[in-house]
Amino acid sequence: MSQGLLSVTSAFSRVWLRNAQVYLTLWKFNVFPALAEPILFIFVFGIGIGSYIDQMEGVPYLEFVAPGILGIAAIMQATFECTYGSYFRMRMQNTFEGIISTPVSAAEVGMAEITWGATRGLVTSTLVLVILAFFGVFHNPSVLLLPVITFLAAFNFAAIAIIVTSRIAQMEYFHFYFAGFVLPAQFLCGTFFPISRFPEPVQVIAWIIPLTSFVDIMRSLTLARITPSLIPETVWALGSTIILAELAVRSMQHRLVE
Amino acid sequence: MIVEAKSLHKRFHDVVAVESLDLAVERGSCYGLVGPNGAGKTTTMRMIYCLNRPTSGTLSVFGLDVLKEPRRIKARLGVVPQDNNLDPDLSTCRNLEVYARYFGINRADAGSRCHDLLDFMQLRDRADSPMPALSGGMKRRLVIARALVNNPELLILDEPTTGLDPQVRHLIWDRLLDLKEQGVTLMLTTHYMEEAQKLCDRVLVMDHARAVAEGSPTELIREHVSPYVLELRADRSLNAHITSRFGHMEFQSSGQNLYFYGGSPDEFDDLLAAYPQTERLLRPSSLEDVFLKLTGRELRL
Repeated sequence: MSQGLLSVTSAFSRVWLRNAQVYLTLWKFNVFPALAEPILFIFVFGIGIGSYIDQMEGVPYLEFVAPGILGIAAIMQATFECTYGSYFRMRMQNTFEGIISTPVSAAEVGMAEITWGATRGLVTSTLVLVILAFFGVFHNPSVLLLPVITFLAAFNFAAIAIIVTSRIAQMEYFHFYFAGFVLPAQFLCGTFFPISRFPEPVQVIAWIIPLTSFVDIMRSLTLARITPSLIPETVWALGSTIILAELAVRSMQHRLVE
Repeated sequence: MIVEAKSLHKRFHDVVAVESLDLAVERGSCYGLVGPNGAGKTTTMRMIYCLNRPTSGTLSVFGLDVLKEPRRIKARLGVVPQDNNLDPDLSTCRNLEVYARYFGINRADAGSRCHDLLDFMQLRDRADSPMPALSGGMKRRLVIARALVNNPELLILDEPTTGLDPQVRHLIWDRLLDLKEQGVTLMLTTHYMEEAQKLCDRVLVMDHARAVAEGSPTELIREHVSPYVLELRADRSLNAHITSRFGHMEFQSSGQNLYFYGGSPDEFDDLLAAYPQTERLLRPSSLEDVFLKLTGRELRL
């Protein structure tokens, strides 16, 4: 039996469709709560704190922070979906076991969960994008590329979440994951202020977390600033996404087929 | 052979779940696995439907190696797992349609197949029910319907009727016999020897990860126990009295029950005459007697 991403066929889309079907029947419960946090961020940081800050990096604070809010919306939605959501389907409902008793493989279930988490991240962040547009923070046509980046950021974090989900013995371990990684990532990754404010070692950690690259790429798009640092950022954003997806898919195979 | 295992082993870390198992299931037959909890029945089944990977030995299904061709094998079989794993987020009919999609069956075919299967398992009135509204018996019937969505050649059932009322159990037995008549090969595990005796052409008795006996129910009864059993129910002191007088006969004791075995009903005449007041039951031997003889009467801890 082949392993990893290369063994994944289009059959993964059947599982993605299953998740989408369930989501659509419950959409009211899914869409609005997911928007609460990003909207709160817009008001608290953009308008509340932002009114005390004249400019950051030469632009109004809300314009500076907008890519950060988008990035956080995308990764948080993907993270929740692929931690608690996936774990619930895997352990409480045994949904995955039912699925892999059909021609669909464990690797495809892993891929479907990641893609689904990324899809949810895309939906939420795109709605946030529309809300932000009403605040007049976007001025460049390059913002139309933002959904591509938010999808990739969400995909990246969905893969990390699946690695965790497929390895833990009980749900309580998610507390460590959220407190130790997800929460710090939200604030460390150049979302609310430039990471150059941090001491050197913290900057290194921040650059390792792929969200930093994704947020910086998005900021280049919203502010239409093209810099040479975009090249290594893009390489790391894409490269880490592929590596993490490979690890996640293998980890799910290992968990589901003993 | 639809399923063929040769010196099959499965180890989970340091626990041996299945050891040196050989089995062969003929096309169109019903093959039963029985044995105490933890004997290795479920692990054996899960290896057949490719959810557990054998540690060593060979296992082929439809002539395909379970380690090399899981996708092709799973496309041709249906699985009824021990614990229902229906999709609680979907209605009865959606459960079947979504499951059909996992097999790559198109929407139109899935829709008509779903209706046929709900009829077959007498769930037509429940087509739109949400999962939590179904009773245990309905859920079990739905899991069986779901396992048939791809017209499987081999249907694997892990304790299909555990915890169900007699009506549902009989309905399921009837349906399984219908399927067998249509040429579907059945493999099942069960703790109900009545079920094994009724449905199975061959039965494998497992204990402590190994096969301890195999054969048709009548062969197993003939080979392992006497044709008749006399059950006596008596308190401890009477029990001792009976066994001291009739200890020359073949017997087993369990709690307040004594089981005497004999080749014909009249072998028990003296015993019955000696204790006319004692509660008794004289009956032909069953697979349950074989099971208890081979695997013992004490509880598994």
